Amino acid sequence: MKDNVVIIGGGIAGMEAAKQLLSLGVKPILVEKAPRLGGHVASWHRLFPDMTLASDIIKRLEKDIAGANIFLETSVENISRKGRSYNLVLSNGITVNAAAVLFATGFSLFDAAKKEEYGYGVYDRVITNADLEAWMNGKKDSRIPASPATVGFVHCVGSRDIKAGNTQCSKVCCTTAIKQAIEIKERFPAAEVYCFYMDLRLFGKKYEDFYIEAQKDFGVHFVRGRVSEVGERIDGSLQVKAEDTLSGRPLRVGVDLLVLMSGMCCNPKAGALASSVKLELDSDGFLRSRDNVYEINRSNLPGVFYAGACTGTKTVPETAAEARAAALEIYNYLKA
Amino acid sequence: MIDRIPSGFNPFVIPFLFGMAFVLGYCLFGAVRILLQLPREDRKKLYLSLITPTTIYKNIRDIFCDCLLHVRLWKRNPVLGYMHSSIAFGWFMLIVLGHVEVLLFVPHRINLFYYPIFFNYFVAEANQTLRGAFMFFLMDLFLLLVMSGIAIAMIKRVRSRIVGMRKTTRHSLINLIGMYSLWAIFPLRLLAECFTAHISGGSFLTIPGNWVFRSILGNDLNLLPTWWAYSIVLCIFMCVLPFSRYMHIPAEMMLIPLRNAGLKVRDSRKGFARVQVMSCPNCGVCLDACPMSVSRADVRDCTVYLMRQMRAGNERRIKEISEKCLLCGKCEAVCQEGVEGPKLRLLERAKTEYRLSPDYSDIYVAAPSGKVLYFSGCMSQLTPSVGRSVESVMRKAGVDFDWMDREGGICCGRPMFTAGRLEEARGMVRRNEELILASGADTLVVSCPICFKMFREEYSLPGVRVVHYLEYFDELIAEGRLTLEKSELCYVYHDPCELGRGSGIYDQPRRLLGRAAAIAEAPKARAESVCCGGSLGSLTLDFARREKMTRASLENLYASHADAIATACPLCLATFGRYSDRPVRDVAEIIDQQTKGNNIEL
Repeated sequence: MKDNVVIIGGGIAGMEAAKQLLSLGVKPILVEKAPRLGGHVASWHRLFPDMTLASDIIKRLEKDIAGANIFLETSVENISRKGRSYNLVLSNGITVNAAAVLFATGFSLFDAAKKEEYGYGVYDRVITNADLEAWMNGKKDSRIPASPATVGFVHCVGSRDIKAGNTQCSKVCCTTAIKQAIEIKERFPAAEVYCFYMDLRLFGKKYEDFYIEAQKDFGVHFVRGRVSEVGERIDGSLQVKAEDTLSGRPLRVGVDLLVLMSGMCCNPKAGALASSVKLELDSDGFLRSRDNVYEINRSNLPGVFYAGACTGTKTVPETAAEARAAALEIYNYLKA
Repeated sequence: MIDRIPSGFNPFVIPFLFGMAFVLGYCLFGAVRILLQLPREDRKKLYLSLITPTTIYKNIRDIFCDCLLHVRLWKRNPVLGYMHSSIAFGWFMLIVLGHVEVLLFVPHRINLFYYPIFFNYFVAEANQTLRGAFMFFLMDLFLLLVMSGIAIAMIKRVRSRIVGMRKTTRHSLINLIGMYSLWAIFPLRLLAECFTAHISGGSFLTIPGNWVFRSILGNDLNLLPTWWAYSIVLCIFMCVLPFSRYMHIPAEMMLIPLRNAGLKVRDSRKGFARVQVMSCPNCGVCLDACPMSVSRADVRDCTVYLMRQMRAGNERRIKEISEKCLLCGKCEAVCQEGVEGPKLRLLERAKTEYRLSPDYSDIYVAAPSGKVLYFSGCMSQLTPSVGRSVESVMRKAGVDFDWMDREGGICCGRPMFTAGRLEEARGMVRRNEELILASGADTLVVSCPICFKMFREEYSLPGVRVVHYLEYFDELIAEGRLTLEKSELCYVYHDPCELGRGSGIYDQPRRLLGRAAAIAEAPKARAESVCCGGSLGSLTLDFARREKMTRASLENLYASHADAIATACPLCLATFGRYSDRPVRDVAEIIDQQTKGNNIEL
């Protein structure tokens, strides 16, 4: 019991860390509040830039961590520090004494209804990136027309937006929008697709190629300018008002479907749990790493480690790399 | 009672006479200057009002109630009301009774200006008369009244919270000199009358005082120096009066007739505005009222400091203060003098010159038509649920109407107007006027209070009734065209600045909400409502400061313990929505839900 390791969160960060710990000979306890593992990624269809099936990754990880103690539909109610170890009270009534705790609590998806000017929850033809992925995974969605003539994508919904309370860039939405625009064009080749962006931040390997491909091979239109407002016409279609800041002209585009690229924001429940054990929060609400350059995995407390989007917005490969690093840190910490 | 000094003069009256001459000269000169600064038609209006019996009565009543008795202040804060009225009314009575004494006992001295002020020095009570004893009793009584007010003023200076003020103004040196000299006048007068009481006579304060001092000192050597000190302090007070906040005493007597004549401020510095600036007593009631005062750094941008900077002529600060304000109008609502802070700021803003001027003449908008038009405004485009709910309710009531800016319209002009860009605002106003008048409409329903105020005040729409949807829905219900079902939720209604203080609509939203749900009242509601912080009025306030204001405003609403917040302004809705811990709904949304008979999902 002395060397228990608890991983909070069974998304890809928690799963990858569990896998690495198992390979190092440590059997972790994985606590996940949902009835299934995989977190946000599990509800995604394909991942950029190689169009990898998300379900493949999750299935592989699930197989790899079969040897861990996994509690599904369980959340951590309380953490308290006892000398060099931590006492975790779980919602299933079990109390665990852990030598090390890994926060892999991830992020929350921004609630697009908060940007009321885009009409999510008000107009019938407005969906989010997550809704589109769920639809592509086979879920029925009456908001998506059978054959849309025009589809719009709004970038940065709740990201880099002080009025929405989030100043951070969500990193993944630019490329996700490109990916989803391509997928829409694949399913509805006749549809015109417009992406409204303020910046395209295509920093990762092959992202820029992906962008060129979307324009050259799929004919997706990219319009630089934030959408100011969306209105509904009598026939249910939408009118998007934006400004094309490259040509300096105001634009009005009619679309049959509008996809809002909801960004990542901090997970408030993780913040509340962390604060109860005197872990520090950053100004953006995410957990504060000891150092943002070299000690992203470390917290201000010994024995508490971080992995993935709990410390800030991350892509899938970044999260996986951090999870591996955290597993090694924990292993070395337990050995010392 | 006999006249004691044959010449009826002593040199100690000279400082008093000098101060009096100075202050009277200054006020007379200032009043003439201000009258000349007024536009010709305003001046005519003023003169006419001064000979109209109803305004004469109103002027006298207002001067008596506001300047002497401070009736409005009594209603707001009884302790402060007592403090001000005891000093003002008590002092006034001392002067009046002084004249009565002179008329009664030494009528041949009435032409001497200073006699009523220094009466006790110049007379001797030969044999006790009932009349004399009664007058002396009254004089002591009113002196006591004034001194009790001064005592409260001293306490307020040290601990303003005791008299119910959280913040109080920081005074300049000249104000401090004025204040301390005012505080010194009455104790010195009491002292002087005490030293003289064995000669002149006195009453319950002065005679025992005289016994005590004479038994301790054993001589009258302090008699003349104290009268000198009294006169000198009066002189100091009157000499600093024109340059200190005490200028409000004479200025208010001019402000009341100007206001009662129905004049409007046309220039931010001259004429009527000048009288308002001079009338500000620096009391600081606006400090606690101002929503900006939640940030320490912004307290110095409240109206009282604008008045001070306008007197000092500090152009940089005047511009800064004028541009920062949210124009929520609360300082004006609580001001005892009726200083129009927001209006003066708007006039200041209009002085800024912009190099670029946008042109709206070629913007195309569809022409509306129909008897009833609905204008949702730009803000409602950002909160589409408001427009849709208004539309849905009107459809259910069977109103035949045209949503004139459904596909986009021309701005009502208020943002440009509040930025002081009056010409640009006029351009938009003219376009909208043409569209509305050409449509043949007789009713214009507006859902945004910001547009509503603009339509009501700056538009000329003959034959068209401009109503807010709250008024319109209220009428529809009264006509039996809408029936509401009551929800189990309890709402607290937030009065938007432009709708409440700006347009005086307080009852309709409460009546409507009361039919649709239970309502709770926030501690500060109606005219006291706290701005949400989102106002278009401010040109310079940053987001972090606005957030603080929004949270403070929400705290006031939370105190009602309601389940949800209701408002009738799309801007308040969006602003509260960002930080509120409970649902925020527009009244139109609630009415729409409750006319269907299903409960609102929160």
